[in-house]
Amino acid sequence: MSTTPKPPSSEDILGQKYDRCLADFLVKAGVGFSAGVVLSVVLFKRRTWPIALSTGFGAGIAYADCDRSFNPARIPGTRIVSQLSNAEGK
Amino acid sequence: MYRTSRLALAASRGAVRVVRRRLTTEPPSAAPLPPKKKRHVVRNILLSTTVLVGTFYVGSTFFAFKNEAYYQFFSERVPLGYSMLEYAEDNQWETMTLESAINSATQRFTSAQRYVTDKISGATPTVQDAKQAVKNTRDSTVKAIQDSKDRATSAAARIRTEIKKDASGANAILRDQSEQFSRGVDDLIREAQAALAKGVDVAKLPISPEVAAAPSPTDDTTVYNAPLPVGFELPPGYSRPKPAKKPQAAPTEETTARLLRLSPALSSITSSEPIIAHLAGTIDELTAYVEANPAATAKAASVLETAKSDLTALATRIDKVREDERAELEAKLDDQTREYTVKLMELEMEAQDRLDGQEQEFRRFFDEERGKLTQAYREKLENELQTQTELINERLKEEVIAQGIELQRRWIREIKVRVEEERGGRLAKIDELSANLKRLERVALDNSTYLDENIRIHALWSALRALSTSALASPVRKSFREELRVLRHVAAAREDPVAAAALESLEGSDVPDVGVEPFADLATWFAREVAPKVSHVALVPDQNAGLLSHLASRAFAGLRFKRHGLVSGDDVLSVLARAEYYLNEKDLDSAARELNQLGGTAKLLLHDWLEAARRRLEVQQALEVVQAQATLASLLVV
Repeated sequence: MSTTPKPPSSEDILGQKYDRCLADFLVKAGVGFSAGVVLSVVLFKRRTWPIALSTGFGAGIAYADCDRSFNPARIPGTRIVSQLSNAEGK
Repeated sequence: MYRTSRLALAASRGAVRVVRRRLTTEPPSAAPLPPKKKRHVVRNILLSTTVLVGTFYVGSTFFAFKNEAYYQFFSERVPLGYSMLEYAEDNQWETMTLESAINSATQRFTSAQRYVTDKISGATPTVQDAKQAVKNTRDSTVKAIQDSKDRATSAAARIRTEIKKDASGANAILRDQSEQFSRGVDDLIREAQAALAKGVDVAKLPISPEVAAAPSPTDDTTVYNAPLPVGFELPPGYSRPKPAKKPQAAPTEETTARLLRLSPALSSITSSEPIIAHLAGTIDELTAYVEANPAATAKAASVLETAKSDLTALATRIDKVREDERAELEAKLDDQTREYTVKLMELEMEAQDRLDGQEQEFRRFFDEERGKLTQAYREKLENELQTQTELINERLKEEVIAQGIELQRRWIREIKVRVEEERGGRLAKIDELSANLKRLERVALDNSTYLDENIRIHALWSALRALSTSALASPVRKSFREELRVLRHVAAAREDPVAAAALESLEGSDVPDVGVEPFADLATWFAREVAPKVSHVALVPDQNAGLLSHLASRAFAGLRFKRHGLVSGDDVLSVLARAEYYLNEKDLDSAARELNQLGGTAKLLLHDWLEAARRRLEVQQALEVVQAQATLASLLVV
């Protein structure tokens, strides 16, 4: 993308993250949609809500993963103490 | 002793004179016997006291010289003792020996003898004198023999002492010899004594006729000893005893005056023969008587004449006889003296010969002994000398060796010292030379170092320029390891610690391999890539920035106004604006500093750019340091 030969340049990290999140969202949302379709067809007599639900699940999972990629310290059930974060920030 | 005898002699002589005077002064008729006895007593007492006193004083003096205590006593207690001792000391009696006394005595005696012989030859010898002379000669011979004996014994003793002194410690032969000699001397002495006895006998023999002859004149006239009555005369042919002889001379003198007197004619005889004088006196008296009676003159004249002629004849006869006697006696005496002197001489000669012979023998023997002894002693001495010389040689050898060692040591020390001195001198010269050389060397070295330094600085500058050209000023990023190595070697050759440290830190990293971004690239990179993307995350919080915040930041960042120039503020956009400004000013250092202040996501995005910028800045800084050092070095050199 730039003149620098090295592939992972630091200024491109965020863009890559965005790219991966989008890809992941699409895949997971697509998988959820697919699963919702199958379920709605097989189990719920062609109802729409299982499709939306599973797509939602997929999108949610994708979002959670993306968020975690942006902020790896954010782990469920854990909280980073501000002091440490302050020290790191400094 | 001699003095005492002389004193006694003098005293006796004096006494005789006194007696004679008395005899002459007193009349012949006076009875002489009682006073004679008295006088004898006085004389004896005087004589004996004189002799005793003399003997006492002289003996005491001699004894005082032998005994100290008696000397004290004699000088202090005895009257005239001190003066006597003083006289003795003045005449050196203490040194007087028997021999010297005898010598002096013999001298005195020989003088006395001469006097006697003079008297004898002087034609007035009486029988008494002759007797005395004979006695004296006998005494002298005795004394002479005694003297010779004494001399012989003293000579023997002297020789003996000499032998003893010379060969004391000699062997038995010598002693035997000396004994033999002493025996010989004893024999000699005995012989001499025998000769003396013989001589005395011989001397006595002629004396006896003389003694017999002496009273012969008195025997011719009968001696009338009885006392005569007063006025009576002795008949012719009779005479008074001897002591009364002399007084008759005086009356004869009286009678000679008147007639032809007989006494003057016979005066030469009467003086020596009192009897004749007496006869002449009687005849003169008779003549006087005849003269007094002229009647009887004629008768008596012829008788008197005959008597006179007879008397003169008798006188002449007596004279003649006496002369003969005297001549005979003198001849005999002469013979005897000659004989004895010859004998004495012979004896002396013999003794002398014997003594000489023995002395020679002893001398020979003594010489032999001395030779032997000297030989033995010489041998002993030679042995001793040899051993001594050996010892001394050995000691000397040792000493010589020791001294040689000592000398060698000393020489070595001296040589060392001299060598040291010389070395010191030479070293001093060498030091001087070396100092000069060093100075030269230093100058040359200085020069060379100067040149070297110049060359090195030049090389440094060249390398530095090459490095800066390749590393910083190149339009593309490329490796500058080679240039850095050259520069580092040049700097290391100069031993510049600062530059070396800077270059080493630079070389330690991988920067020279990868090279540094050119400033244009960095600026472009920042302006096109980094700055917009950082401005997109400008609103993202530093912590707990999730997806939403990022998305929101991205959404709202586009809505904000872009700032330019040196703007104040701590926010990301202001910082970015300042960095951009600095980069436009070509101040990469300040831009990097500004950007380095950012934190959070922005820092993450800026990481690579900052890294590149920092690398470039490091190289730049190192090169600046080296350049400063090079400048300093060139300044120092010039």
